[in-house]
Amino acid sequence: MIINRATSRRLLTLLLVSVLLLAAAGCGNGSQTEGFGADSSVQDGDVTLVIGAYSVVKDAFADLLPQFQSYWYEKTGQKVTFQESYEASGTQARAIAGGFEADVAILAMEGDLDKIAEAGFITHDWKAQPNNGMITNSIVVLGTRAGNPLGIKDWKDLTRDGVKVLYPNPKTSGGAQWDINAIYGAGLKLSEQKNGSKDPAYAKSFLKAVHANVESLDKSGRASMAAFEYGVGDVIVTYENELLARVKKGVAYEIIVPNSTILIENPAAVVDKNVDKHGTRKVAEAFIAYLQSEEAQRLFVDHGFRPVEEKVAMETANRFELPEDLFDISYLGGWAEVRDSLYSKKGIWYQVLAGL
Amino acid sequence: MNAMFRGKGWSFGFRTTIMLYFIILIVLPIIGIYTQSFSLGWTPFWESVSDPLAWKSVLLTVKLALIATILNMLLGTMIGWVLIRYRFPGRRLLNSLVDLPFALPTAVGGLMILLLLGPNSLVGGLAGKAGIEIVFHEPAIVIAMLFVTFPFVIRAIQPLLEEMDKSEEEAAYTLGATRAKTFFSVIFPTMLPGILSGAMLAFSRGLAEFGAVVLVAGNIPGKTLIASVYIFGEIESNNPQGAAAVSVLLLTLSFLILWTVNLIQARRNGQ
Repeated sequence: MIINRATSRRLLTLLLVSVLLLAAAGCGNGSQTEGFGADSSVQDGDVTLVIGAYSVVKDAFADLLPQFQSYWYEKTGQKVTFQESYEASGTQARAIAGGFEADVAILAMEGDLDKIAEAGFITHDWKAQPNNGMITNSIVVLGTRAGNPLGIKDWKDLTRDGVKVLYPNPKTSGGAQWDINAIYGAGLKLSEQKNGSKDPAYAKSFLKAVHANVESLDKSGRASMAAFEYGVGDVIVTYENELLARVKKGVAYEIIVPNSTILIENPAAVVDKNVDKHGTRKVAEAFIAYLQSEEAQRLFVDHGFRPVEEKVAMETANRFELPEDLFDISYLGGWAEVRDSLYSKKGIWYQVLAGL
Repeated sequence: MNAMFRGKGWSFGFRTTIMLYFIILIVLPIIGIYTQSFSLGWTPFWESVSDPLAWKSVLLTVKLALIATILNMLLGTMIGWVLIRYRFPGRRLLNSLVDLPFALPTAVGGLMILLLLGPNSLVGGLAGKAGIEIVFHEPAIVIAMLFVTFPFVIRAIQPLLEEMDKSEEEAAYTLGATRAKTFFSVIFPTMLPGILSGAMLAFSRGLAEFGAVVLVAGNIPGKTLIASVYIFGEIESNNPQGAAAVSVLLLTLSFLILWTVNLIQARRNGQ
């Protein structure tokens, strides 16, 4: 009896260990290595830069950070090491506003940087920087399975019966707010074509019709893309760069550029309170400026983003399809208006969810 | 030893330590949640709870936890019965596997469900062709709840079956009772308190499950969003009061259930 119990217990432990190992291996694939910050020992004069970014730039940063390291080393002789955190944009903004000591914030949208500014961590006027403080552009597009089996061409097709749609939850994801803005804006454009004026009620019912087909509301743009890769859904509403990056890796997704869609602009800024505390202002400011340099912009283009720097934009213009009717956030009245009308407590998004 | 522990000083020390432990670990956090939920007064509390997205999520959670509990009662009873009454190779191994869902991080369980039943898997693919949606819909949530509450009923009835006096059963047969009659009037009544208390535990655990469900549910508010994920979302979007209000609903429900379990067990001990 005792021996038997002991063996069964041993078996149990064995099973547990193997399961844990499997789980660890699964996680290991996803987690990033620390760059070469890990193996270089910290010396006097070295500097650590804490990066708080939104999840989508993770892959681009994996290439970009080492380049900045060598750029900064050549320029000043100082070694930079990075501590990186990637989260859904809204979550990241809340973390920084709540005391996560990031030196620089790279987020999906203006509103999230404003959150940090409102909490008193960013004290300078970050929009006064070149390109209004934006480091990358993109557009909201539709991604379908290889060969576009359902013949999706435009937003309207997402309202068809039996089309399963994915986009992340705008409450947690900044990227999702762009997606919802694009659908809502496209609804406004449609109403304009029909009646000659913007009709919010029409746009709302359009958004509602698309939402009725949504299969899963994930936490971040990344999670939504992961679900799509698991085989969930027929169409994903996401950033063009997300899809371009995957297509480049050989995944046969189809990218559909809708007739009218929104221009995405992603900002970055130095977090004043934290850089002053860490004494990292110089390198942090250089990093933000570097993100807008030709070199960095080319790298962003390689990862599917649209550049903000004029020269690179001219050079790479033929790589990106220009939607016929591209609008930006000002078409919806700017971020302050959008936050108020769409995402406030009883706003349009809430009404769509609650079926009001 | 015993005499030592019966000493006055010891008894006092024990009681105080246990009370302190209990208060710090259980009572304080719960009081905290109740205070937080009423921190802005009655009206905001009522607003948070009567929000259609909030009560729909609670309703969905209760409904699915109930389904999972009923399945657990049926399957758990059968499994417990088989593991005690039958002798077959691999029985001990199976018996120790029962507790695995407790040892595994529930998110891993969720991931496994996603991989095994997702659209790219064999089962998920077949179900998809038959027009049945599993992952990201209610069935997947029930499966996730089943997975994490699996051991409760089994572990609750096993000791009862083991304790059962063989002679009672034999007496029934001797008195000429059929197999069915023996089962329903001798064996089943012995197992019933175990089934019920196991089911109650499973139900309250199912109400609170997060890790496994968040991965396999679509999390669409009003449709496939369960209460625990709703609460998480409210915390994420900076509404701790709303989160606490819905937590209070869940907590009160769980408390009532656990209390019922205690009553049942007290009655059983009294008999």
